[in-house]
Amino acid sequence: MNEKRILLMGNEAIARGALEGGVSYSTGYPGNPSSEIIETMFSFKDKHEISVEWSVNEIVALEAAAAFSFAGLHAMVAMKQNGINVCSDFLTTVALDDLKGGLLLVVCDDPGPLTSSNEEDSRHFAKIAQVPLLEPSTPQEAKEMAKWLLNFSKQMGIPCILRSVSRLSHGRSGVTLDSIERPKAEPFFDRDKPLVGLPHLVTINHGKLLQKMEKVQQIFEQSPFNQYEGPDDARLIIMTTGLGFLYAREAVETLSLTDTVGILKIGTTWPLPAGLLQKYLKQADEVLFVEEIDPFLEDQVKVLYAETNGEMGAVKFYGKKSGDVQGPGGPGVGEINGDVVLDALTKILQRERPWSKDYAQKAAAHAEKMLVPRELSFCQGCPHRASFLAIKVALDLDGRQGFVVGDIGCYGLAAGATGFNQIKALHCMGSGMGNASGFSKLKSFGFNQPAVAVAGDSTFYHSCIPALVNAQANKADALFVVLDNSVTAMTGFQLNPASCGVAASDLINPIPVEELTRGLGIKTAVLDPVEDIGKAKETVYNFLQEDGVKVIVFRHVCATFKKKKIKDGQRSSARVDQEKCLGEQCGCDRFCVRIINCPAIQYDSPKAKAYIEEDICNGCSMCLQLCPQKAIMLVDTATGEVVK
Amino acid sequence: MSCTIELEKGVIDTDLCTNCGACTNLCPYLISFKGRVIRVFNCETENGRCHAFCPRINVDSESLRDDFFDKEIYVPEIGPFYGLYLTRATDTGLRSNSQHGGTTTALLELALKEGFIDSAVLTQSTGGLEPQTIIATRPEDIRNCQGSSFQIPPTLAGLNEALKGEAYKKIGVVGTPCKTLAVYKMIKKLATDDEHGMDKIGMVFGLFCGWGLDWLGLDDLVKRHTTVNKLKQMDILPSSFGVMELKTEDGLIEIPLDEIYPIIKESCKYCTDFTAEFSDISIGGARSSAGWKVDQGWNQLIVRTEKGKELLEIARAKGVLEFKDMEPYNLDKLKKASMNKKRTGLKNLIEKTGNKSDLMYLSPNDPVIKGILNSAPFK
Ligand SMILES: Cc1cc2nc3c(=O)[nH]c(=O)nc-3n(C[C@H](O)[C@H](O)[C@H](O)COP(=O)(O)OP(=O)(O)OC[C@H]3O[C@@H](n4cnc5c(N)ncnc54)[C@H](O)[C@@H]3O)c2cc1C
Repeated sequence: MNEKRILLMGNEAIARGALEGGVSYSTGYPGNPSSEIIETMFSFKDKHEISVEWSVNEIVALEAAAAFSFAGLHAMVAMKQNGINVCSDFLTTVALDDLKGGLLLVVCDDPGPLTSSNEEDSRHFAKIAQVPLLEPSTPQEAKEMAKWLLNFSKQMGIPCILRSVSRLSHGRSGVTLDSIERPKAEPFFDRDKPLVGLPHLVTINHGKLLQKMEKVQQIFEQSPFNQYEGPDDARLIIMTTGLGFLYAREAVETLSLTDTVGILKIGTTWPLPAGLLQKYLKQADEVLFVEEIDPFLEDQVKVLYAETNGEMGAVKFYGKKSGDVQGPGGPGVGEINGDVVLDALTKILQRERPWSKDYAQKAAAHAEKMLVPRELSFCQGCPHRASFLAIKVALDLDGRQGFVVGDIGCYGLAAGATGFNQIKALHCMGSGMGNASGFSKLKSFGFNQPAVAVAGDSTFYHSCIPALVNAQANKADALFVVLDNSVTAMTGFQLNPASCGVAASDLINPIPVEELTRGLGIKTAVLDPVEDIGKAKETVYNFLQEDGVKVIVFRHVCATFKKKKIKDGQRSSARVDQEKCLGEQCGCDRFCVRIINCPAIQYDSPKAKAYIEEDICNGCSMCLQLCPQKAIMLVDTATGEVVK
Repeated sequence: MSCTIELEKGVIDTDLCTNCGACTNLCPYLISFKGRVIRVFNCETENGRCHAFCPRINVDSESLRDDFFDKEIYVPEIGPFYGLYLTRATDTGLRSNSQHGGTTTALLELALKEGFIDSAVLTQSTGGLEPQTIIATRPEDIRNCQGSSFQIPPTLAGLNEALKGEAYKKIGVVGTPCKTLAVYKMIKKLATDDEHGMDKIGMVFGLFCGWGLDWLGLDDLVKRHTTVNKLKQMDILPSSFGVMELKTEDGLIEIPLDEIYPIIKESCKYCTDFTAEFSDISIGGARSSAGWKVDQGWNQLIVRTEKGKELLEIARAKGVLEFKDMEPYNLDKLKKASMNKKRTGLKNLIEKTGNKSDLMYLSPNDPVIKGILNSAPFK
C-alpha cells in the first residue's frame, strides 16, 4: 500500500490503529472525550467485517471484549475516565488471566473537565491492576500505540491500556496510515485452559502477572515510544508524558533553551522504564515534571530515585508537588498548557517571561467582548425542559422542600436555569436513584423532604437498575423519573436499549423501561411531558404522595436527534400571534422568554412582544400550553397553515 | 423586590394568606393549590396587580369604604348597613339543598334573571370538599353550587378569569369577607388601570364567616369519620353547640369542636370581618334568642348598598324570598359576634407582631380599629 497521510482526530487515529492492528471486536460506552473511537469503528464495520457495538456500560463492554481475547481474537473497548471505575472490578481480575488474543482498553481522560463530573487520572488503574499503560503525545503516536498494544497484549497475555486526554482525542493532525491487518486466527475457546479466579489460583496467577510485568518493563526500556531530545549534558531535564511533551517542547523552543534543557518523553507510563529514567536522573541536577492530571510520573520517579539510595547524586525536583507546575486551578487541577511550562521554566531558571503573565487573561477579556453571552441551555424543543418544569411545579405544590437528585446526561444542565435549577446533587452514573433510596430511609430520623431521582434512558440501563432493585427490595419510598428520549443524546445520539420509534434500528432490540420496572413490581406511569405538561405535573405530584418505589417514564424523542434524522420532512414551528401577545401589559412578565427560556423564543424589545425564531424552533409545542394569553400557535413552516 | 416575592414574604410565609385567589390567574407565578397559594418562579414586576388586589396587604378600610359606600349608614361593628332581615328561599326544593335558607342561591338566580349580573363566580364542592371555582351563567349552574365549603377555594382566581376578555360584563361574586374585600380592592385598582374594569363587576354577595378550615386537615378529618363519597354537606353550628355536623348518606355525624379547632385555617385567626362588610348584600345563618334550632333553615341578611336594596325589594315583590319578623335581639347579637371577631383578630395580630401599632395588613389609624384598641382589653 502506498504511504498515505491524512488529517485525523486523535480518536479516529486510535480507531485506525486498532483496525491496522487487526481488531475483530470493539465496543464501549459513549462518553466525552472518547465517543468518536467507537463511532469511527462503526464506519469500518461493514467493509472490514469487524463486530462493533455500543454496550450498556463499561464493565459489560470489557467483559464482552475479553471473550474475543479468550477465543484468540483482538478486541478493543473505549471509554471515558469514569468508565474505568465501572469496569475496574473485571479489569483487576482479567489481568490475572493468560490471554489468547489482544485486549486493549482505551481510556480518555477529561482534565479541566469539559463534560465530566470528576477529573480523575485513570493512569492509577494501570498500577492497581498491574497492566501496561501507554500515553501518546500526538494522533500519529496514538495510532501506532493502539496498533502495537493489540499485538503486545496478545504477546504478553495481559490486557493493556491506552490513555488519552481530551485535547489529544479531539485534536487533529496529519497521520500516516499503514496497511490493515486482518486476523488469521480461528476463534476457539480452549476448555483445557480454564480462566478461573478461584482464591487458591489467585496467588499463583498474581505472581505470574508480576513476572510478566517485569518482562514488560525490560521491553519498555528499549521502547521507541520513549524519547530523549536535547543536549547530552543537559543539567535540567523535563520528564513528561502525553501532551505534556508538546507543551514542554513549545516552552523550551520559545525560551530558546534547546541547547541547554533536555526533554525526556515517556510513552510507556506503566511499568516505567526504570533504567532509562535512572540514566537521566544521574545526568540531571534538576528535573521538571510535566504531565496531566496527577503527579503520577513525578511520584513514581521519586520512588525510583529513593530506591537507588543516593547513587543518582543530588537532584532537585520541580513539578506539581513543589507547586511549580500549575494552572489557574492549582497543582494537579485542570489542564496544563505551554504557558504553564513556560512559567515553571522561567521561574527555575530565573529568566524574564517573553510576554507578560496576564497576557492570557487580557486575550480572554478581549475575546469575551466579541462573544454574545450565552448560558448553558437545553436545546430548543428539548423534552427535558417540560419534564423539569413538571417536576419543579409538582415539588413546589407538594411543599415539603423536595429536591431532585440527578445523574449524568444532558439533563444534568437542570442544575442551572434551563432546568429551573432543580438538580441539587449530581455525581456518577446511577447515583441519583441510589441517593433517593437512601434519602427515604432518613424518614425514621425525622426527615420529610422527598427526593426525586432523575436519569436518562441510557443512564437507566447503564447503572440505575441495581439501585432500583435495591430500593424496591429494601422498601424505600422513592420517585424515580426516567427521562426517555430514545437516544444517548449528550454524547452524540448513540443507540441504546430505549431506541425505538424515530430512533429504531436493526442493531437494537428495544427494551421499554416500563416493562422492566413493572416486572420488578414497581408502579410505573408512562407519559409524554411535552404533550401535556399539566398531566405530567399532576402525575409527579400524585406519585409523590404515595409510599413505595414509583417510576415515571417521561417519553419524548430528543428534539435535536429528530431534527437531524428527519431532514427534509414536514416541519412545524411555533409562532406568536402578535395581536394576542400583550408583551409588557400581560402580567406574565415575559414568562416565555424569561422562564421557559427556549432558545427559539425571543423578545422584540422595541415592539415589546415575544416572537419565535422559526428557523430553529423544533415545533415541540410546549410553549403553546404555557402562554397565559394563548398567543402561541403551531404552524406548518412550508404552508404557513396553523396546525395547533 | 418583585411583587410575587413581596407577597410570599409578607403574606404567605407569615400565614396571613387566605387563599382567596385574587393574586392568582393573573400570571404564571402564583398558583393556588389545595388551600395554599404557592409561588413558582420569580417575576420581576414591582407593582403587580397581585399585590394591589391582596386583601392581606395594605388594607385601608376607611378610604376603600368611602369610595364605595354611603358614609351615613356606616355602623362600626358590622359596616355599611341599610337593614338586617331574616329570609329564606320560597322554593322548598331549592332550600333543601342549600346551606341554610337558600337566600344566596335564590338571590343569585334573581339577579341573573333581572340583569343585575350576567354571570356569577361561585364555588362548587362535593359535600364541602374539593371546592372548585365556577363561572355560572345559567340558573342550573348556580344551583349546582349550593352549600358551603369550609375548605377555602381560590374563588377570585375565577373572577380574574372572568375579567379577561369581553365575555362577561356584569359579573356577580359570592365570597367570604376576605374575598369580598379583595373584590373592592380589585375594582379600585382596575378603575385606575382601565376605565372599563370597574363596570364589569355586577354585584357582590358576602357570606358571614367565623373561620375556614385547613384544606388537608379537613380532608383528613372527613376521612376519619366517613367516606368522602358519602358526604352530602357539612356545617359548623354556633359555638354553644360545640359540634360540626357532617350530613352523610348514612345520616348525621357530629364531630366535637375540639377536633375542629386544631384545623382552623391559620390566616383566619387574623381576620376582623365577620359580616363581609364589603358587599352589596351579606348573608349568614340565622340565630334566634329562642335558640339556634328555632331559626334553623333561615338566613340573616344585611343590605349595604342601593343596588342590594333594589334586588331585595324585587325578591320580596316577586315572592322569591320569604321574610320573617325579627326581634332587636338579632341585631345586637350580630353586632356582638362581629365585634368579638374584630377583637380576637386584633389580639392575634398584636401577639404576632408584639407591637400594638404594627397590625401587619391593617391600618392602626382606622377609626374603628383605633376605637377598639383604645378600649378594654387593649387599653
Ligand atoms: C368558610 C365559611 C365560613 C362560614 N361561617 C359562618 C358563620 O360563622 N356564621 C354564619 O352565619 N355563616 C357562616 N357562613 C355562611 C353560611 O355557611 C352560608 O353560606 C350562608 O348562610 C348562606 O346560606 P345559603 O343557604 O343562602 O347558601 P346557599 O344557597 O347554599 O349558597 C351558598 C353559596 O356560597 C358559595 N360558597 C360556598 N362555599 C364558599 C366558600 N368557601 N367561599 C366562597 N363562596 C362559597 C357557593 O358558591 C354558593 O353560591 C360561612 C360560610 C363559609 C363558606
